[in-house]
Amino acid sequence: MSASSTLLGTGRAPLGLLVPVLAVLTAALAGIALIAMLGVPFRDALESFVDGTIGSPYAISVSLNRSVVYALIGLGFILANRAGLTNVGGEGQIAVGGIAATALALQHGVGALPFGLAFLVPLLGATLAGTAWGALAGVLKARIGTNEVISTLLLSFIAVWLVYWCVQSTALLRQPMTSAATLPESLPVPEATQIPLLTGDAAAPVTAGLLAAIVLAVVVALVLTRSRFGFQLHAVGLNPTAATRAGFSYATTVVTALAIAGAFGGLAGGLMLLGEQYSLRAGFSSGYGYDGLVVGLLSRGSVLGVIAASLLFGFLRSAGISMEMGASIPTALIQVMQGLIILTVAGAAYWLDRRDAGH
Amino acid sequence: MTAALLAVFIGSSIRLAMPLLLAAIGELISERAGVLNMSIEGMMLAGAFGGAVGAWATGSPSLGLLVGLLAALPVALIQAFLTVVLRANQIVTGLGLNILVLGATTLAYREIFGARSRETIPGFPAWTPPLLGDIPVFGEAVFRQVWLVYAAIVVVILAAFVLRQTAIGIALTAAGDDPRTLERAGLSVEALRFGAILMTGMLAALAGTFLSIGDIHTFTEGMTNGAGYLAIAAVIFGNWTVGRTVVACFVFGAATALQFQLPAIGLDVPNALLIMMPYLLAFLAVAGLVGRQTAPRALATPFRR
Repeated sequence: MSASSTLLGTGRAPLGLLVPVLAVLTAALAGIALIAMLGVPFRDALESFVDGTIGSPYAISVSLNRSVVYALIGLGFILANRAGLTNVGGEGQIAVGGIAATALALQHGVGALPFGLAFLVPLLGATLAGTAWGALAGVLKARIGTNEVISTLLLSFIAVWLVYWCVQSTALLRQPMTSAATLPESLPVPEATQIPLLTGDAAAPVTAGLLAAIVLAVVVALVLTRSRFGFQLHAVGLNPTAATRAGFSYATTVVTALAIAGAFGGLAGGLMLLGEQYSLRAGFSSGYGYDGLVVGLLSRGSVLGVIAASLLFGFLRSAGISMEMGASIPTALIQVMQGLIILTVAGAAYWLDRRDAGH
Repeated sequence: MTAALLAVFIGSSIRLAMPLLLAAIGELISERAGVLNMSIEGMMLAGAFGGAVGAWATGSPSLGLLVGLLAALPVALIQAFLTVVLRANQIVTGLGLNILVLGATTLAYREIFGARSRETIPGFPAWTPPLLGDIPVFGEAVFRQVWLVYAAIVVVILAAFVLRQTAIGIALTAAGDDPRTLERAGLSVEALRFGAILMTGMLAALAGTFLSIGDIHTFTEGMTNGAGYLAIAAVIFGNWTVGRTVVACFVFGAATALQFQLPAIGLDVPNALLIMMPYLLAFLAVAGLVGRQTAPRALATPFRR
């Protein structure tokens, strides 16, 4: 497989590009029809859509931060998917990443560490927690053949409720109860542990996470196309038996691939916590992991596809929030649009696959 | 725990387990045929919504039930068409449908009910079977249930019989275990899987209407709130058999009932642990700590002729 085909996906340009464009257009038309049905003036809707996405440096920054989370989950997904694995565990990997980041950032002395270690240490902890969460599914798959779709899905639910547990119990991460009104959330993390803003300006709060995501996107593209490990993933994905005969360890490949996917999820969770939320709350992962999985699948294994889909989803999520606040359009409208995009592209894979098989 | 408290606990465990059981048996049928049907959450929500709107508009919970079944039908048809005919990724279509149904029902609910959202919706009354209701202490508390509870028991027995004893049940299992051989034997894997998904849709819709017009007589946005995923966990913990899935549903139902009873009993178990327990149990099961797990071999794999 050549480098360009991995960057652009196995689908060649015309149809591979046409499908997502048509899907987005269909969804946009449905959205417009629904706005008309709701009786909201179209101008108001459009105005708040633009306001929430590209209307201000703030809106662009927040949307980019969201896209970074989607991109990280999507990149981890396509890497593991190259070995034939489906990581449904992004949501849980984000959750354990957030827990680890919070626990470390609130640790006495971490906030006083020099050279950016104050945020790098919690971020590393988040990544390791995600790695462990992903590797667990890999070990089960390698040792007793547990379907990773099922194990990662269950691990996601467990992790999401672990977050809930952490913020409900003062013995864990809940802030000290000073009154009955004390919210079930952690203390805010110290300022030194927060991810630096690229602009240094709170009016455009895009974090250094964006740089990390860009670097990792290039690394994943290179690993998948140019490295021995990328070849190993591909070999195991195509035919585990043949790959084993060729000297690749199936167990090592599976565990490593899922561990890496988990690491990306954990990092994403750490970035969400230390770059945006600043204190741990129940349900903070709020579906980012599942949307990220969809980003990975819609990309059809291409890094450029992940970038495009994560930008689309990141800006769409912002648009939904803005339209709810600015024009009283329920975010449910964006959910309908997102659902339509997912179903259209998932269904169209039939024609894309058939054409790929035909050449 | 006093006998009266225990009776209430058993009664509410049954009430909470039943919608889960209907959905889980539906999910089991799909999974046995090789389809990991994540859209069960959306099917349940569509059923709950249709049931509520139907009962509210006609004033009859029975017609509501019918509307609930009809509302889940398009969800099941789309899931079946995309995964069986177009061989799309089952997990993606499931997640896509769930978010679509969540959005669509929320929008429609606000449009239809709007300010009237506090209006009660006619629902099924609770009913006590003769004789059983006369048992002291336990009779009323345990057996006074919506008739759907008793219907669910019949559905489960029927499903167990069909899966185990009939040709179609065996063919269904083959579609999930070894579709290639089934195809060679002259049966259509596609037809079996398509039918299984529609069946799942109907049972999930029944479970959904149970929530909206059987249990609490109202609809709230996103009211299934993960019940569909809980049903999937029950099937996994149930090792893809009817008997163990039933046990799983009752254990999960009891765990939920316990959350509400804890203050009354005075036990100090973290609430989070009880909510998490079903998923933890299911995970321990697939991790091989609760005997051998045997998932259908072709689960979540599209069939290509």
